[in-house]
Amino acid sequence: MATADRLDRRDGTPALSARSVSVAYGDDPVLSDLSLAVDPGEVLAVIGPSGVGKTTLLRVLSLSLRPDDGIVTVDGTDAWTADAAGRLALRRRIGLVFQEPSLFEGSVARNVSYGLRVRRSWRERIRDGLASAVGFDGPSAGSNGTAAAVREALSVVGLADATDRPASSLSGGEAQRVSFARALAYDPDVLLLDEPTSDLDPRNTAVVEDAMGEAAGRGIGVVLATHDMHQAERVADRVAVLLGGAFAEVGPTAAVFEDPDDDRTRKFISGELVW
Amino acid sequence: MIVGVAPFVQGVPVAVLVDPAIPVGTLLHAAIPTGVVVDATVPVGVPFESVYVRSIVAVSLYVSGLAVLLGTLVGVPLAVALGSVEFPGKRLVTSAFTAGMGFPSVVVGLLVLFAVSNQGPLGGLDLVFTREAMVLSQFVLATPAIVAISLAAVSGVDESVRDAARALGGTRVDVALVTVREARYGVATAVLAGFGRAISEVGSVLIVGGNIAGADGVSKTRTLTTAIQLEARQGRYDTAMVLGGLLMALVLAVNLVVVRLGDEGMVR
Repeated sequence: MATADRLDRRDGTPALSARSVSVAYGDDPVLSDLSLAVDPGEVLAVIGPSGVGKTTLLRVLSLSLRPDDGIVTVDGTDAWTADAAGRLALRRRIGLVFQEPSLFEGSVARNVSYGLRVRRSWRERIRDGLASAVGFDGPSAGSNGTAAAVREALSVVGLADATDRPASSLSGGEAQRVSFARALAYDPDVLLLDEPTSDLDPRNTAVVEDAMGEAAGRGIGVVLATHDMHQAERVADRVAVLLGGAFAEVGPTAAVFEDPDDDRTRKFISGELVW
Repeated sequence: MIVGVAPFVQGVPVAVLVDPAIPVGTLLHAAIPTGVVVDATVPVGVPFESVYVRSIVAVSLYVSGLAVLLGTLVGVPLAVALGSVEFPGKRLVTSAFTAGMGFPSVVVGLLVLFAVSNQGPLGGLDLVFTREAMVLSQFVLATPAIVAISLAAVSGVDESVRDAARALGGTRVDVALVTVREARYGVATAVLAGFGRAISEVGSVLIVGGNIAGADGVSKTRTLTTAIQLEARQGRYDTAMVLGGLLMALVLAVNLVVVRLGDEGMVR
């Protein structure tokens, strides 16, 4: 969806929502009756101590884990009542960045163009693959549109001139920035970030945080799972505090940090609550 | 027991030779081709030798190449599937493939021969002493190696890389392709191991193929290995050495090509 279309729909249907979602691993409940929605162009931070279920929540939101109970919608469409093809189409409107970059072997361009390539038809992919194999193509592989999208996404994370570099030559911070660009390149409607900067130095962290703002500016709904409260305070429009498998508090960032309603939230933010 | 014997016609071996060690039951008698005759009028000379050698190389390449191609098409997807799912008895299945790498080729040859013989389940296909039967037996020999080594390679691919492919919108097939690509050195090694096993084995192709060359010196089911065995037994060590050199060169050339293919696209 184009940026303008997404921004027009603010205050309308959420880009992504979970309603009364519950997940248990065996007999252990991880998420209990949890609801949240992210609007287009909004950065929503999910904060909470490690091991509280943030990653499980992101797996539910990214449609890779079916919740035991509850509904997940993408742009208003219930993902788990859709058929497999419909769910794949919904899944492809979501970008996901993990704590580890997990880049593929090959060039930066190959990594960043991956999401675009899997969305093309097999006929196009085989044709491009053959063209690339016999050297009719530059290192970016694929159509001009792909190369432009790759450059554009890389420029958001300050790596516009890194397209031809082997992924294995990148530093940890650069790799994570490429991982971010990889999810941004296919212009998702929602971006889910799982502790994306926890292994990064301050400079790379700043670049990734700026890229979150850039993504939101394009109308992408951003969900940031983090245990770094300062980061949540810096980048998020709203904050959801996940404690004990449920949201203790959800609200505008300033309100949650300055005047939390919930006592546990207050203790968590002040560092008194040790999980 | 020697069937249809003519070990030498003017110095050129054109026999249908069945090793005495191989039990030839009544089921085989019905299946032995009758068209193999010795033509003593064939001229002898250098061109004939080259026809002989070239046809042997062609049969070897055809049989082992096709067997490994089929083994790869079956074995690599099977390895990726085995590597990405958990089910009860998985260890047993993977152990079976590992054990299959050590199958004695003569036994495999014998089993395939029974399978394609008149009374066998594939008897209707009339495959005894054909290249296709040789392909089948080498497929059975090569595939376990391809599966077992590919499985080890794809199991080494980090789960997070597969997760990333899925998260970026990849389908199951896309994730499998990423897995194979990440594991391509191991997969290339698996294919090479399968090819090495196929091209260098004697037992099964001798049994199911019959080591047949026509009276005109053109190999029908004679491969480099069975030819070397025959030539050495006939005391024609020079021809045996030439064929041995060719076999070595072939194996090395295929190794080079496969390793080169594995390198392709490293930075693309």
